[in-house]
Amino acid sequence: MRASRLLLGAVILALLAAPWLATNYQRSLLLAILADVALAVAWAFFSGPSRYLSLATGAFFGAGAYATAVLGGRVVWPLPVLAGAAVGAAMAVAVGLLALRLRGPYFAVFTFGLAELAKHALIWYETSVSGTVGRLLLAPPGASALYYTVLTLTTLAVAVALVLRRSRWGYALIGIGEDEERALTLGIDTTRVKIVAFALSASFMGAVGAAMAPRWTYVDPQVFSPLVSFQTVIMALMGGATSVAGPVLGAVFLGLASEIFLLRFRYVYTLALGLTLMVVVLLVPSGLAALWPRRSGARPS
Amino acid sequence: MEAHLTPSLLLDIVGTGLITGGIYALVALGLNLQYGLMRVLNVAHGEFLMLGAYVSYSLHTGWGANPLLTLLVTGPVAFGAGLVLHRLLYARVLAHPEARASLESRSLLLSFGLLFVLQNLALLVWSADLKGYSFLATPLRVLGAVFPANRVLAAAVALGLSLSFYVFLRRSLTGKAIRALMDEPEGAQLVGVDLMRLHGICFGLGVAMAAVTGSLISMLFELSPFIGLPYTVTALVVVILGGLGNVLGSLLGALLLGVVETAGVYFVSSDVRLISSYAVLSLILILKPSGLFAR
Repeated sequence: MRASRLLLGAVILALLAAPWLATNYQRSLLLAILADVALAVAWAFFSGPSRYLSLATGAFFGAGAYATAVLGGRVVWPLPVLAGAAVGAAMAVAVGLLALRLRGPYFAVFTFGLAELAKHALIWYETSVSGTVGRLLLAPPGASALYYTVLTLTTLAVAVALVLRRSRWGYALIGIGEDEERALTLGIDTTRVKIVAFALSASFMGAVGAAMAPRWTYVDPQVFSPLVSFQTVIMALMGGATSVAGPVLGAVFLGLASEIFLLRFRYVYTLALGLTLMVVVLLVPSGLAALWPRRSGARPS
Repeated sequence: MEAHLTPSLLLDIVGTGLITGGIYALVALGLNLQYGLMRVLNVAHGEFLMLGAYVSYSLHTGWGANPLLTLLVTGPVAFGAGLVLHRLLYARVLAHPEARASLESRSLLLSFGLLFVLQNLALLVWSADLKGYSFLATPLRVLGAVFPANRVLAAAVALGLSLSFYVFLRRSLTGKAIRALMDEPEGAQLVGVDLMRLHGICFGLGVAMAAVTGSLISMLFELSPFIGLPYTVTALVVVILGGLGNVLGSLLGALLLGVVETAGVYFVSSDVRLISSYAVLSLILILKPSGLFAR
């Protein structure tokens, strides 16, 4: 216990000091991994216990990135991130009201369609109404500001996930995942719980999208990428979506692997990624975090 | 943008739409078979289509095989591959008793894994360059409208296969067992239907349908390793449109989607093709999740 606390403290200190210690490349790698962690944790605290498999991460992320693209240069820095969070949450409420009564694969399909619909509608709007294919990002904030923004978001996501799982809302989500009708008869306002938790999760995704946008000089509708949705799900489920450590582990593992191998051995890497995913699903059904010796409080699935 | 709807234009749109829809029907039927029966959402479905297309391309350009005859290779090979994949992957997931609750998400992940593997395998073997050949690209005149002969042929074959599969489901003993499993899984097993064996057969048939559609598509369009996913999405739209496990619904849904898309492309622009199919998908899911043609 003491050793793991020391380790955790060391990791936090290292993360805080990274902008001074790391090279540019290392810092940008760290930034990408932190963003992945935030997305995977935010995805898992809703979809893990409730078992509503959302493939809308890319849509919320993309909407956040567009918030920065539209507002960037006009307002001071952290504001686009807040706007991204607000847009993500608003979208999630709208989607939730429509779609959260769909169960199982229907919900997954709907959320996947949503991201694609948003992307193609935006492409159509940009080309035929505003006459552009993308937007230049004006006056992006400095590298350290970006880093600390993302670090804050990641820390917040982990904190929310930790608090949520021990709260009445967290137990309500687990109840919904196990048997939604029973949860309803037990007096849980399932619609409200689902929509609020989904919106909370989406607000993180929007905020991360807004915070990561300045990494590119140019934002176009391709940021509504289904790849973001898939990667997030894979990271969370690979690590184990019912714990908090699981998505963190999965995101760090996959984030590192993709940064190191993706550019050099693109096809072989993605092929190996697919194989790894299949092996994990077949052999370690509850995720990599289950291999950890003492899995405290993890719900058996 | 303004176009007057003359009879020959209408014929053109409906004809082209039915041709497109006929091809959609066969892909969608394969997905519906897997999804409707096993509740396994196979997002790698389109990848089998892509592989089928490449195998036909290679057989035609390498050995001069007639593209139509390559269906006799891709179909059975894909069926066998489907049986093996089912045994190796899905049978294990289904057999895990404690994992039944997470079956949907785990099988979804498995097929994501499969998608990555197959797509990158194709990239390594055939590279990302567009590949294609010309076959029967002669115009065919029907009542004043002109259709390319290869498309008419491909749609006819796809529709013929879809219809014969429908007859197989209604008439043969295996087909009846499959329908029984779709309607009433527990009851069907009580009267002695072998779930695992039929799941394997259905998965194999689904893969074979995708691969055969791919062989047909190789005669019409240029190929890249990325053509799979859009077909998966279209097939999903059709399956949702027609209703899970509803074979006739899939057929009608595919033809309808084909006509609607063609009309959309003709009257608005080609950008609306995807928007309209996703919009249709969302609307159906919200308004009538059991499909347009639910009994």
